[in-house]
Amino acid sequence: MEAIPMHRRLIFAAAAALATVTISLASLAGQAKSPIPRLKDGHPDLQGTYDIATLTPIERQAGSPLVLTDEEAKKLEHDVATRKNYQARPIEADRKAPPVGGDGSQGAAGNVGGYNSFWIDSGSQYSVVDGRKRASILIDPPDGRVPQLTPQARQRVARNVNRPTSDQTAREDDPGFEGNGAYDDPERRPLGERCLMGFGSTSGPPVLPNYFYNNLHQIVQTADTVMILTEMVHDARIVRMNAEHLPPTVRKWMGDSVGRWEGDTLVVDTTNFSDKTRFRGSTQNLHIVERFTRVDGGNLLYRFTVEDPDTWTRAWTGEYTWPATDELLYEYACHEGNYALGNILRGARLKEVEDAKKKTGGN
Amino acid sequence: MKKIVLSVAGLLLAGVPVFGHHAFGGEFDPNKPVLLKGPVTKVEWVNPHAWIHIEVTDEDGSKKEWMVEGGTPNTLLRRGITRESLKPGTVLVIDGYQARDHSLLRANGRNVTYPDGRKLFLGSSGTGAPTDGADPTEAPKPGQRGRGGQQ
Repeated sequence: MEAIPMHRRLIFAAAAALATVTISLASLAGQAKSPIPRLKDGHPDLQGTYDIATLTPIERQAGSPLVLTDEEAKKLEHDVATRKNYQARPIEADRKAPPVGGDGSQGAAGNVGGYNSFWIDSGSQYSVVDGRKRASILIDPPDGRVPQLTPQARQRVARNVNRPTSDQTAREDDPGFEGNGAYDDPERRPLGERCLMGFGSTSGPPVLPNYFYNNLHQIVQTADTVMILTEMVHDARIVRMNAEHLPPTVRKWMGDSVGRWEGDTLVVDTTNFSDKTRFRGSTQNLHIVERFTRVDGGNLLYRFTVEDPDTWTRAWTGEYTWPATDELLYEYACHEGNYALGNILRGARLKEVEDAKKKTGGN
Repeated sequence: MKKIVLSVAGLLLAGVPVFGHHAFGGEFDPNKPVLLKGPVTKVEWVNPHAWIHIEVTDEDGSKKEWMVEGGTPNTLLRRGITRESLKPGTVLVIDGYQARDHSLLRANGRNVTYPDGRKLFLGSSGTGAPTDGADPTEAPKPGQRGRGGQQ
């Protein structure tokens, strides 16, 4: 056997070492090469349509566990399915009109009932994060409750009742009919009713499920801009990447959103809110930080932190999964057929006349 | 947890229709309950709320067109229900409350059923409309690709 010259042996050794390193690198790259789709700039491609309807409420019973056991989740989901089936059942064909004085419905249904459940698409399952069903969206504070309002915030919220948010206080003499002043001006009506923004912080930020219908969101992304389109009520939030916030004099309905990448997570920072949205009674100094991360199945993990020292005694954080869907978002041209707002204001004027007649003995 | 279960049970017992998101109490008069029966004349498939028009014959034989408020059409469209799914002439029975302005023949569709009591769109395996998803052998309509990615 011919002896291999030393320099050749060194070359072989070097080549072998290089091959090993190359294989190792390839192997590492293989591990690092996640199934996450990426844009040309190398950042994760978060684009898609997501249906965020869920049974997971924002808060949970104080101190109860964040995670539901499989049995608990199954039971709760079964109960909801049972209720939906019950609502969908055939009813008496020869029924009479509902009772005079109202049917006892509460909330937005305002003592006159709402409409058939076939219109509703409120979700049928609890949100799954890290493979476990979640009992609440809130993860911090650990007790699962939104922190208390500061004393000043409580006073402010009390003053702002009947301002154009979703605040409602029913009149004692006519349950379902809101307090005095709530109908004095179209601009006092809630934003959803006026087709300006979805109810229940659907558009956000923070983006929350409305537990009712049209919970679809679409993300469109370029290197410079990310758009988050909300079906309900047609709001498009534009996130400017790697940009500075606008001057504090510029105030926007959904605030001013700027984005940056932290690893594979899109972090969106929003300030400059107007005082018209007032998320859960907040001021225009509301500060929201959202984190969007691709997880399995094309889904996103959505995490948000809410901060406003003028409103809450501490910051709070929530998270839930945005499941990808093949469904299409449809236009929600809310103004085109908004008979309801006119009916509501017209009804209030007639109610005033009726009340005035009662006061003057019917004359 | 018990509270959640109890509230679900409460809803089951009450059987109250699902509420809307706007001020139904301001729009409709709890002292003017109505029971409307008649054929559909047209449906306005518009947001924020669809309106079903039906022709109601009064006791004196006169015919009046009522408008009945429903929910968002977007949700129905995703289920394969289209503007063709509720054809003019279909007889409906509707209970609800009239608008507070009694000069308006408008009501909320608290319960909307076919004359045999089946809830609208829910009373059969399908709506009767083409591509409503009831027939698994039928090719889906473009845009009706089914719900995917749900956990």
